[in-house]
Amino acid sequence: MYKFLFLASLFTVLVINCVKAQTNPSDQLILHQKSVKLNLGSQGIGGEFTYGIDKKVALRLGLNVIPVNVNDAFDFADFNSTSKASAKFTNIHLLADYTPFKSASAFRLVGGVAYFVRARGTMQVQPSDNYSYGDIVLTPDQVGYLNLDVDWKGIAPYAGIGLFKVIPKRRFNVNVDLGTYYLKQPDVKIVGTGILKGNNKQEGQLHENVKDYRWLPVIQLNFSYKL
Amino acid sequence: MKIYIKYSMVMLLLLSAFSCKKPTENIKLVVDTDILKYTAFIRVTDAATGTIPANAKITISGAAADNIYELSGKKNFNLVQGVVTIGLGPALTPTAANPVSCTATITATGYTTVTKTITFTADKSQQVINIQIAKAGSNTPPIVVPDPPVYPTPVVLTFTGTCSNRRDFEIRPSVYIMFRETGSNLPYQYLGYMDKGVITTTALGQGKTYDVQTTFNGEDHKVTQKIELPSYSLTLDMGNACNNF
Repeated sequence: MYKFLFLASLFTVLVINCVKAQTNPSDQLILHQKSVKLNLGSQGIGGEFTYGIDKKVALRLGLNVIPVNVNDAFDFADFNSTSKASAKFTNIHLLADYTPFKSASAFRLVGGVAYFVRARGTMQVQPSDNYSYGDIVLTPDQVGYLNLDVDWKGIAPYAGIGLFKVIPKRRFNVNVDLGTYYLKQPDVKIVGTGILKGNNKQEGQLHENVKDYRWLPVIQLNFSYKL
Repeated sequence: MKIYIKYSMVMLLLLSAFSCKKPTENIKLVVDTDILKYTAFIRVTDAATGTIPANAKITISGAAADNIYELSGKKNFNLVQGVVTIGLGPALTPTAANPVSCTATITATGYTTVTKTITFTADKSQQVINIQIAKAGSNTPPIVVPDPPVYPTPVVLTFTGTCSNRRDFEIRPSVYIMFRETGSNLPYQYLGYMDKGVITTTALGQGKTYDVQTTFNGEDHKVTQKIELPSYSLTLDMGNACNNF
């Protein structure tokens, strides 16, 4: 952990010094400037509109969407199964970019809030073998499947840093966001079918397992076009 | 799709970077045993004494015999403590117009062989078949076993089937339950049908201790419990039934 903090601090200092070296004081003037952005990163794909409300502060209003599917991400120790996991996140966010250092205008502190219209992780588990019950070979419908849903829908605060200018000096630039959302404690639901119907009693354990899954880190590239 | 998979793996790693537990940690897979939807609990007793005849055997015959299974889904029909539960496999479902029948034949050394037709109908998922067999040449009238007493306070027993060799596995047994007061040495009596691990009964009295028994896959499973509360959650080691899945 200390090693991580040391490396993170070192990285930040290096970035600030690098940014300082590139800075021209006249670039700090973002008041009333506007840009639009295309975002690509851990938040999926999205777009933003940015407006400078002060010499040092710009507001960003945007939307990001993640549609993700992954197979066999999880398993049960005593059940030969295949799993399909999907994560679907859609958020509308309002962020403020604050440029604290005159001499390092490309380093920003970013804070704000998002409303996750959709923030759902779903895992479906199905037996991978031909399951039999005694001498009876069961069909997949008779065995059934398990759906485990985890839902973080709601409001989440955001904090992070931004690298490079929030509004391009000329027409285009690329800047970076590093930060994290802090999601609400998730709601969980387990639905089973066939002979797996009784698994809803495991909802308490699932909630216990995922209740700390609240940090949603953001690593994002923003392609900006100045209006 | 490959991009999605790589991308999602990164996202999952990021999401879990500050979390400790795997989402499926300590989650047990709960499995129901009610594969056979139409069952019959067959109990064989000595007609004169009500005791369990030694060496009694059962065979199942008739047109539907191929689709008749022991409750564990196996074709082994063994009387354990004089009882066995049989049922229709999922391939055969009785309808109002077409009930399904089979014949149970009970043989035991020194007893007259008895045959009994067992009919599965659409409106009856469970049934209890008492078969009394008499010693060859005996003229003693059959004993009448009195019904168990009825107590005013119902008791709910919730059973969880556990497997010592499969830690992530739990069973909600759907089985017929027998009982007797502990230490009474009386024959077990029928308590009722436990549906997905739960049975509610008025046959258990407060302050009394009971042996509760069920038979599954050729094994009998027993639990002893003193009744002092309106409900109990009990565990039942499912033995070799765990290997049934």
